[in-house]
Amino acid sequence: MAQTHSTQSLDFDIDSITGDARAGQLIINDQTLETPNLFPVLNFYAGGTQRSVYGGGVHRTIKEFMIGADRVGTDPLSEYFDAAMTSVSSLTDYNLTRERYEDYLETPIKERELFEPFSGLVFADSGGFKFLNSDEMDGSDFEMEMNQETVFDIQQSLGSDIIVNLDHPIAPDDGHEERVEKARQTADNIHEFLSLSRDFEGALYLTVHGYNYSMIDEFLDVLTDEVPEGVIREGFDGIALGSLVPKKDNRGALITAVSDCREVMADWGISDWPLHVLGISSRAIPLLAALGADTFDSSTHLHNAINGKYNYSMMESVPIDDVDFSRCDCPVCQSDELVDRMKGNAEYQKDILGPVAMHNLIIQKRELAEIRRCIHEEDTNALVDYFEDRFSRDKTMRRYAHQVVNESLGGYF
Amino acid sequence: MKKAPKVNEVNEFLEIASDFENPLEVIRESLSNAYDAGASNVEIRIRSRQGGSDIIIEDDGCGMNERDLESFFDLGNSRKTDAIGYKGHGTKIFYKSDRIEVTTVNDGTSYRAVMEDPWEKLNNKELPEYDLTSNDVRRGNSGTKIQVTNFRSGHGFDAEELTYNKIHHYLKWKTIAGSTAHYFGDGQREMDITVTLDEDIDDSRESLETTNRLEFPDEQLEPSDGEYPAERMCKHYPAREIEVEYDGGETLLQMVGMVGGKETRNELPTYGRHSAQFGIWFAKDHIKVERLNEAISHDNEYIHFLFVANCQDIELSANRETIRNKASPVYKAIREEVEYYLSKVTQDPWFKDYLETRKEGEHRRRSAKQESSLKDRRERVETDGFAPENQAEVLLGLERASRQANTRSFTVEDFDPAADVHAIVRQNGKLRNAAVHRTLTELFEEEVPLENTELAICWDKGDPAELSEYERNGYFGGDVSLDLDQGGLRYQNHDDQFIEIVEVKSLLETGAVPLAND
Repeated sequence: MAQTHSTQSLDFDIDSITGDARAGQLIINDQTLETPNLFPVLNFYAGGTQRSVYGGGVHRTIKEFMIGADRVGTDPLSEYFDAAMTSVSSLTDYNLTRERYEDYLETPIKERELFEPFSGLVFADSGGFKFLNSDEMDGSDFEMEMNQETVFDIQQSLGSDIIVNLDHPIAPDDGHEERVEKARQTADNIHEFLSLSRDFEGALYLTVHGYNYSMIDEFLDVLTDEVPEGVIREGFDGIALGSLVPKKDNRGALITAVSDCREVMADWGISDWPLHVLGISSRAIPLLAALGADTFDSSTHLHNAINGKYNYSMMESVPIDDVDFSRCDCPVCQSDELVDRMKGNAEYQKDILGPVAMHNLIIQKRELAEIRRCIHEEDTNALVDYFEDRFSRDKTMRRYAHQVVNESLGGYF
Repeated sequence: MKKAPKVNEVNEFLEIASDFENPLEVIRESLSNAYDAGASNVEIRIRSRQGGSDIIIEDDGCGMNERDLESFFDLGNSRKTDAIGYKGHGTKIFYKSDRIEVTTVNDGTSYRAVMEDPWEKLNNKELPEYDLTSNDVRRGNSGTKIQVTNFRSGHGFDAEELTYNKIHHYLKWKTIAGSTAHYFGDGQREMDITVTLDEDIDDSRESLETTNRLEFPDEQLEPSDGEYPAERMCKHYPAREIEVEYDGGETLLQMVGMVGGKETRNELPTYGRHSAQFGIWFAKDHIKVERLNEAISHDNEYIHFLFVANCQDIELSANRETIRNKASPVYKAIREEVEYYLSKVTQDPWFKDYLETRKEGEHRRRSAKQESSLKDRRERVETDGFAPENQAEVLLGLERASRQANTRSFTVEDFDPAADVHAIVRQNGKLRNAAVHRTLTELFEEEVPLENTELAICWDKGDPAELSEYERNGYFGGDVSLDLDQGGLRYQNHDDQFIEIVEVKSLLETGAVPLAND
């Protein structure tokens, strides 16, 4: 059942297909990522200096786990950092000085000695959703106009492996004209993006926007009116489906968007391209993976931790105060020192919540491994059983699980 | 000093016998007992009597020995452990009679037990006794015959109300005759059941013959032709055995069921409204007990479903009508499992197609109805011409009159039927407030203030006598006078108000549209 999509910058090998789900490897710049997989959101640069692992509160602690810093007392947890998502726009979150901004971009992430234990794939989002209302990046002592060129420069300077064009995400209440206009604006950037990235060493993903088949298909129609289809096919390596964040809690809408996107990809003859779903995480991941989405990015591990929640599983989280840490065999919960911190015995919030976030991330990455294992069984029963196990007690989720089982895995009866 | 609590035996017997509210439960208990006795044939005969009925139940089971007969008459002293009637309550329903006679042959001995006037004695606070005699007989030909004389059947068992249809439904819904055990292939014994009603009760047939199996109507996955395409659709959901863990143990849940349209459901022995019979049934011994229709969400309407969720760890109330261990972990666990199972069924693509087919049928019927209603309306237009039935149509008439007169003297600028003053119209370039009615009399019926109304637009003036009454009685303390020469009416409350009347019908007839007179 093996199937390969190879371009100059990427190999996407699909080893197993179960229903609409697929599992394989994404190989970029000689680094291999098993799919389906998760790119945890990570701010490599968050206002601080090298001494503070470039700062970022909980992000900083996560990075300390990534590199095995003394402050966390574990070996580098590299296996959970085979991929990371970082956004160009995150740099603006920290009121940088120009000097620090330039320092951050001077050396690619993976070429910094500090980050030496990290060798995962870096996916750099364009930050289109953030620059929607303002096309400027504001530092403490400088301003910079954000356009396709500056976004690309930042993506490249970070040493990214996967980048996307600067896009114009749609909103649920956009009218038809507005959506078409945004598609046109996105198309305008594509010309520039493709010419800027001619020598880029990494994969280029085309962002597509829409909530259903007709919208996504129309988006591609508008794009190909402006940019010849052949150029798009030659220029891009994968698809990044965007604009779904406002619908993140509407599972039915996510299912429609992803399964319709796969259908559009099939009709446009690009079904073997990797599909990344931007900004959707957590409990929707198993559903969307079963429909054929290959990668995801998620900050749920951080958000849950910041909200005082510890994940027992991808589906279940509990307040930190109620946690029985002995239930978990992850390296964080196996450390007495870190458990003590998670119980609140640390001076800074980042030291309490950081280990929780790391634990949450491990839970999610393990869940993805389990999903891959089920797909590799190449028997729909494995995934159906997985859904049964994970969703049967969850009244809100299970009807969506049934929908996916019916649509992608052959149904129950 | 230790003291043992006492039981008032007579009261207990009375209580238990009375607890069986539905007299048809006699049949249920008899069938269960016959099945427990390994019978392959049961005959039930019911004769109507003044104030009650005589009931004879005969089976070819293994019969009862002396000890079994004791259990038959004793309360709460069943010898059965894994059988349906393990409680020793069921047969006590027979006490509501004038006489009970049991003849039974078991293992070479024939027994006859007779109890006289049990109900009367119990009501006189006397514990009824029975005479027991026995004889040796040839081995073989075992069986039991129970004769209950003048059973106090009460409401629902009256001769006029008891019919084969009703009994057939009861058998299939409430007794072992409606068992779905055979779908699980666990070797359920087949038992032939014959019910014969006295001709006085129901002479529509000789007898009712059935077995102890509920068979779902044949499957039909595809829609039919015609107006109701989903009506005969039917899908069986095959038997599934699900092991359910709960806090304290594990139990087995056996699920089987069907989904079907009205015609399919009518192939089952239904009686009365489907809403009282279909849905999700919990069962014990594969005898349906109580429904859990909440397992189906409102949009999916439980009426299309007949599912039986059997579990031997359900505990029943004395009359077997309700589940009594609903607070237990085992009940909660199976309930959750049933809900989960049904959530899969309601998401089954076939079921969605079925609902879609129903909707399509409804649309087709609506479209046919539309056609016939449009035909009527068009005919009416051809015969009667334009005749407004509501305010909006009156305004349409007004605009049409303006067009016909080839002037643009009236245009409707704003219309809000919910407002006191319904419309703002432009008359010769000037905006005027207008109340719009089919007849002028309605202007007063709405009881709204008229102070801001400049125009009363109506199709016609309505009943002149009614208008005269308003002139005679006034309107909210003010005087009303029609001034038809001036084309309006006067309303004198605090101020003198002139409301111009625009009678659309006459405008259309005369083709003249008045100019604003102010």
